[in-house]
Amino acid sequence: MWGKIAWRLFWRELSRGELWVIAFSLFLAVLTVVSLSGITESVRSALFQRSANFVAADLILRSSVAFNEQVQQQADQLELQSARQVQFNSMVFAKDLMQLVSIKAVSAEYPLRGQLKLSSSVADPTKTASLQQGQLYLENRLFSLLNIKVGDSIELGEKEFIAAGVIVEEPDAPLSVFGSSPRILMQLEDVNATGIIQPGSRISYRLMFAGAQQQLGLLETQTKELLGPQDRWQKMDRESAIGGALDRSERFLLLSGLLGIVLAACAAAVAANRYSQRHARSVAVMKALGATTSLSRKIYGSHLLFVVIFSVGFGLIAGQLLVLLSQWGVAFWMPEYLAEFSVRPLALGMLTAAICALLFSARPLWRLAAVPALNVLREKPDQVKFDVVHLASGSVAIWLLMWLFSGDIWISSWLFALCLLFAALLMGFAALLVRIAKPMTAGQSSALKLALANLRRRLWPNAFQLITFSLALFLSLLLYFLRSELLDQWQQQVPQGAPNQFLVNLTDQDKTALQQLAKAHQLRLTEFYPMVSGRVLAVNGENFADEATKEKPEQRQGVGRELNLTWLNHLPDNNKLESGQWFSTDTKAEVSVESQLAERLQLKLGDQLQFSVGGQLFEAKISSIRKVDWNSLQPNFYMVLSPDLMQGFPATYITAFYLDMSEQELLNQIVRQFPTVSLISVDTILKQVNDIIAQVSVALTFILLLVFASAVLVLVAQVQATLEQREQELAILRTLGAKSTFLKAALLYEFAALGALAGLFATLLAEVLLAAVQQQFFDLPYSPHWNLWWLGPVTGVVLVTTLGAWQVRGLLKMSGSTLLRRALQN
Amino acid sequence: MKTPIPHIVAKDVVKTVQLTESELTILQDIHLTINQGATVAIVGASGSGKSTLLGILAGLDQASSGEVYLAGQPLHQLSEDQRAELRARSVGFVFQSFLLLPSLTALENVTLPAELAGMPDARVRGLELLAQVGLSHRADFFPNQMSGGEQQRVAIARAFITKPAVLFADEPSANLDSATGEKIEDLLFELNEQQGTTLILVTHNHELAQRCQYRYLMHAGHLAAEQPKATEDKRHVG
Repeated sequence: MWGKIAWRLFWRELSRGELWVIAFSLFLAVLTVVSLSGITESVRSALFQRSANFVAADLILRSSVAFNEQVQQQADQLELQSARQVQFNSMVFAKDLMQLVSIKAVSAEYPLRGQLKLSSSVADPTKTASLQQGQLYLENRLFSLLNIKVGDSIELGEKEFIAAGVIVEEPDAPLSVFGSSPRILMQLEDVNATGIIQPGSRISYRLMFAGAQQQLGLLETQTKELLGPQDRWQKMDRESAIGGALDRSERFLLLSGLLGIVLAACAAAVAANRYSQRHARSVAVMKALGATTSLSRKIYGSHLLFVVIFSVGFGLIAGQLLVLLSQWGVAFWMPEYLAEFSVRPLALGMLTAAICALLFSARPLWRLAAVPALNVLREKPDQVKFDVVHLASGSVAIWLLMWLFSGDIWISSWLFALCLLFAALLMGFAALLVRIAKPMTAGQSSALKLALANLRRRLWPNAFQLITFSLALFLSLLLYFLRSELLDQWQQQVPQGAPNQFLVNLTDQDKTALQQLAKAHQLRLTEFYPMVSGRVLAVNGENFADEATKEKPEQRQGVGRELNLTWLNHLPDNNKLESGQWFSTDTKAEVSVESQLAERLQLKLGDQLQFSVGGQLFEAKISSIRKVDWNSLQPNFYMVLSPDLMQGFPATYITAFYLDMSEQELLNQIVRQFPTVSLISVDTILKQVNDIIAQVSVALTFILLLVFASAVLVLVAQVQATLEQREQELAILRTLGAKSTFLKAALLYEFAALGALAGLFATLLAEVLLAAVQQQFFDLPYSPHWNLWWLGPVTGVVLVTTLGAWQVRGLLKMSGSTLLRRALQN
Repeated sequence: MKTPIPHIVAKDVVKTVQLTESELTILQDIHLTINQGATVAIVGASGSGKSTLLGILAGLDQASSGEVYLAGQPLHQLSEDQRAELRARSVGFVFQSFLLLPSLTALENVTLPAELAGMPDARVRGLELLAQVGLSHRADFFPNQMSGGEQQRVAIARAFITKPAVLFADEPSANLDSATGEKIEDLLFELNEQQGTTLILVTHNHELAQRCQYRYLMHAGHLAAEQPKATEDKRHVG
């Protein structure tokens, strides 16, 4: 029986537009959650797939001692694919020539991800070949360095091999733009025969795994106990440009998504309050006619349930469509991308809707059913009192949503406290301003004065409106400015014409020849950085440990590998001194250390470092600590030595230049002319970073739209909530003879004043938070946002006045008699 | 002569409300007995407490002390939900400001009490009553599409749909012009007579009160009986 009444009332209320704000708010919240988490997940999985191609596996366990067989067993149980790899440096000999090389020995399963391309011809990379026992595949330049050709034999340790061809492409080739030894690929089974691996040899063992995300996650958690200090999981490199961009975008998406949801939830709460106020009379009538409280609760509770089902259904569908669209977009720039369906965003969307509905909207409807039947006899029903429980449940909901979405209890609590502080501040400001407005409203009547008097009279409802208007505007402004700033910042990292080709291992002779070639082809070479490989052995006489050991846990752990050392007179462009002084012309034996490395090795100014380069030992005092922008795609160095130290060391050089995609032929010429030089093209990396920026910028624009839509919803819900009261006041003023134009002007002034105040507060808050977020979250330098100071208030005035006028247009059009009749009927 | 059955009984009814610093007495020592089928008017100035008394007699509110019986049920001992169920079975209302549900049509407003009481033939009965109040042609109209008089006629039809034993009317014609108000009053008394309902009418309109068999004057929380219109059994006076 009640179901029929509830359903009938629901459809009527829906067609009267009463439930749309709640429905649309919940829809927006679900849409935001599903699309954001879905899109982030798609982009993450695409990047994961792509980065897996770069490391030739999904997950790698690196060890300096031996393959961890227990981990291997666990992986077999989880039915993961696996492959093995050993890397070490050694000398190779061809007749009377020798060369230090970097060797990679792989099992037959290698690579698990990406492609290995080998060719049996130096000149023709299309003659594909496969790795056999007894064969070595060499990096192109080794053929000239060793003066051999395909089919010649070369010695590695105690065994003789055939130089079977060249490595055209290996998925896990080092992306580093720094020089490394020429590379050789061989079969893992051949390693023992070389006799190179001896106790104490410096070897890197890699167990490589591939499979489903869930199984990989399980492998990591199940094998925690099995790992020793020498074992380390290899993750996607957070310091790379791609990792950094993704990291920032993820934080930003989460943060801004949250803002939209909180706004939408607030709109739902305001709308639910209004709904319950408007239906208080109807509930009293129904109860007078015999409905019990629980029956009323069922009838009106079911309205919320219907709205939730309706909104969640549409929200899920629309959100999933957007996710599919984004996956289609991802596949567009990454053809090998395999889209995965994930239930998580959908579940998250439903959970969000449940939290919003239960903690934001259910309370007013619960209270609605408790309206006493006696109200039918009261001319003016009780004014709905300020509901502390509703405020508390709404606050808990906001915090829960923040937690749910950020996954971090500290960030969510911090943000929540900040929101509370803002609300309190705004409330205080609003009260103060309205108080100041009091003397202005005295005296003769004018539309402006009536507007101010109206604002003052509704002090607390207005203060609340002001808070929500301000927050809504503030969030939109914040997002707008952060978005454009982030995009600018990212674009700057990869400016047009940034070097995309790096030349490594240049000798002094190469330098001169290359400069001539550059001049002939109008290439702009960056500086030539001299480079030698060396080790940092000790600090202040205390030796670094190569690896973490259980025997001597107190010993400071070193870098564990050779570093590329350079020496320069001046500070590189993209470096910033954090402390100390840069070298002067007469500096002797000093070194400048990169700040993150200094922190890791616990180095400070004045420490004495001992280096070993080519077997020679020397010492240098730390005279400065530098901050390096690792995203800059420029040659960067952990250690820069004062030039006096490096006189006499045989150095090679690194330089870079920009080459347009259309001039690729020149690259072939360079390779032919400088066979011993490594050419590293970072075009692909640059393209990836640009692609990510493009994707993220689309996502950001989308979020900005969502947040703006939510902000508009809050405004609409708030103005709607005052419509009845305004109608009554208008009726009285019209009856007393006020002209329609006068009342219209008064209303517009009132909205404009509210909008201006809200815009001003929003601007203030946005400026403060922009400064904080820029510096704390995104590590960007702060600069004031002058545009914000006019855009904020103007947006406030225009938006609030337009929306307000649009909503009260019906009231203003009504004749005095209609207004009076309606006022009497109510 | 048939012995009248007491239908509404109030004994020693007192209603007080707690103000911030003092207690305000709205009703003082009310004694009242109303027999089945009687028409009773409670007259009084605004603020005299007549609507409060109506609320207590109808089970919408509870007395601070005293006993109230409606159709044999002790209202003062019933919970809010039990009183709601009793109202659904036995009570009808007509209000000063009509109080139709704005989102329901005229017919749906009329059938609402019947549906709440779980009556099976609500629609048929609703259409009959709309015809009786002369509004068959307005069955699918919403309240805001009807005049005040039409809305009150719908409210009257709504009040009679459950064939209530008692009908409470709170200033039924106060919001209407005098011609329309009279028509509404005629309709109310006509239907009341047809169905033999006990009618309790709260008004400050003495002419309307004159149409009732019994009249009480409410003054500052005290109830006093006026002279009955015709020769009547005085037992109804408490």
